[in-house]
Amino acid sequence: MIANLRADEAAELATLKVRDGARFLWLFCERVGDATIARYVVDRQGRLESFEGVATPGTRSLSKDVPASRWYEQEARYRYGVDFGGPSDEPSIVKAPEADAERMRRALGDEVSTVLYGPIRSGIVESACWVIETAGEDFICVHPSMFFKHRGLEKRFEGVRLELAPLIAEHVSGVTPSSHATAFCRTVEAALGIDVPKRARAARAILVELERIHQHLDSLAKLADDGSLSVGSALTFAAKERVHRMLCDATGHRFARGSICIGGVREDVFSSLSQSAVRMLDDVEREALSALEGLFGTQSLMDRLVGTGRLSQRTVSDYGGVGPVARGSGVVNDARLTDGWLYTRLEAEEARETEGDALARARVRETEIRRSFQHVRNMLDAAPAGPYRTKLSEGSLRGEAAAFGRVESPQGELIYFVRYHNGLHRVAIRSASFANWPLFVPSLPGNIFTDFSFIEHSFGLVQAETDR
Amino acid sequence: MSNWIARGLRRGILTTSYPRRDDAMPPTYRGRASVTSDDDAASLERGAAACLSAAIRVDGTAILAERCFQCGECARAAPSAFATTNDHELATVGDADVDAARERLRKRAAAFGGSVHLRHVDCGSDASTEQELQAIFNPFYDVNRLGIFMTATPRHADILVASGVVTHAMIEPLRRAFEAMPEPKIVVALGSAACSGTIYEEGAVAGAVDRFLPVEVKIPGTPPAPLTIIHGLWVALGRATARRGVRDL
Repeated sequence: MIANLRADEAAELATLKVRDGARFLWLFCERVGDATIARYVVDRQGRLESFEGVATPGTRSLSKDVPASRWYEQEARYRYGVDFGGPSDEPSIVKAPEADAERMRRALGDEVSTVLYGPIRSGIVESACWVIETAGEDFICVHPSMFFKHRGLEKRFEGVRLELAPLIAEHVSGVTPSSHATAFCRTVEAALGIDVPKRARAARAILVELERIHQHLDSLAKLADDGSLSVGSALTFAAKERVHRMLCDATGHRFARGSICIGGVREDVFSSLSQSAVRMLDDVEREALSALEGLFGTQSLMDRLVGTGRLSQRTVSDYGGVGPVARGSGVVNDARLTDGWLYTRLEAEEARETEGDALARARVRETEIRRSFQHVRNMLDAAPAGPYRTKLSEGSLRGEAAAFGRVESPQGELIYFVRYHNGLHRVAIRSASFANWPLFVPSLPGNIFTDFSFIEHSFGLVQAETDR
Repeated sequence: MSNWIARGLRRGILTTSYPRRDDAMPPTYRGRASVTSDDDAASLERGAAACLSAAIRVDGTAILAERCFQCGECARAAPSAFATTNDHELATVGDADVDAARERLRKRAAAFGGSVHLRHVDCGSDASTEQELQAIFNPFYDVNRLGIFMTATPRHADILVASGVVTHAMIEPLRRAFEAMPEPKIVVALGSAACSGTIYEEGAVAGAVDRFLPVEVKIPGTPPAPLTIIHGLWVALGRATARRGVRDL
């Protein structure tokens, strides 16, 4: 496959769509022979559209017109050597705060110092590094330095037997394996035209919602811990533990790994889930909501969250924010809406907050936890009968196809791309964490050092899925 | 204002007595995969072909816990030859004589007194190992009761807990963290990826932790369950006996 367009032309088409109201999602590259193909992906009214072109020296950079493309262009430049013109050592993944930072640097002169924070930091955290410019307490500008955890996972998919490949997707983010496996399987199923029984779709949806619950609880428990609220944090972590125990009972794994396969789910997760959920779901929900009620009723914690790490609606939509980070600033995009079942616009709007600060993001998570419990219960009540897996026939695995697939992971919209040619040829992953990191940068200036962990945990991003 | 004291007390005691008393994972848990019968060569081959991390020995006689990432595919592909049990005590030491290893670790840990401080380094994990390590401090496990604590600086650390397969970018930070620790010190590889590199491709990553540091105890699991981690730390302190593991994976 060689594209008919040049990357410039593909970029132009994507820009036109964005001007027309489409949302920029992704830019990624693929090596075909000696050529590098750049692929621009936008969302137009819930539908994915992509434009591809051969990258040539001096491919036009979109970052002026479409700021959200900036981070992706940097990755394309770094990994595929695509030349977008301009200097290759641009310091920041986000342009916005640079002008302010420059003004402050000039005004403060010698008082500005640079601190290297990472890749090993205090506590039990994933490896990532920030270069922080500061004049004492305040953040002036923060430059992320990531990909310490790059593990070559997109490449690892190539040539792997289809029935085992979802296990690799689960390694991209081990804390949200069901989201990744579902997104990957949906993509392959779309490419190969495999039909998934309703019972399997419901089982996958339950697993993803339970994942959302434990990851949101994790993020809120860490916020409580940042605020030195040890009992609050302990009770929230205890509620999270109960979700893992429920999953372990039902699936044999505390994060429900190994449950999802192409064509459905590996075992009848639905019946095992409903058995353990019948016993445990009410308790888990009561514990979780009671802990959260305590957190949101504690003024000392709320004081640390109000106004911390504020992001405007404009910044979020410019830089393509997704998930709870976007919803906290009033931007609602939710991949569950495009599923076409179970989830309505009304429910998506329900989790919307407008303040854009750490508190708003925490409230979004709280609302989503409540909503996810209801979803799980509704799906268990309306158990679709029938098979839980479509058997793959040999014939369906031959041929050539490409497709995209989406899932609303706890961190937000997760997208997979698969090119299939009698086997897995190229897999590309746009994780929600990757999409949201550029927003971390403008959320920091104006805050002080001790706000860092509050802001980080209010984002709740996973480094492993960013670095792949 | 929340009354946290009342909220805390209302829950009662959730905490396990493990490792002083037995505790178990639910029967459904895929802890250890093992070969149950090596009668049928075809079944063994089918199981081995379903293993993405090459944890099944070529001769099909054993499954290497350090390479196994607990997917359960072998038992699905060849139920007559493979099975998983809910065993959670998975930690291994490299020594042929496991009792001697225990004694050696016990002597070294004697210098720590009753309290042990861990420094964690993420070398390239999938993020779940961190959350399970965090979980050993939650009220269900509360390892503070065992005198186990986290510390922010390697200068105060007794045990280096390294999680995840080591990526190229993390080799140097990992070494520096180790060098910054005072003697005596113990290195623990946490999670199968840290123990062996599991599914990750040679070249794309730098390899298992023991290529770079003297690992004493390996704690398999993807991720290891909190009980598995507690057992592994107990092994590192010479208070429990580990199985003999395979090194140079």
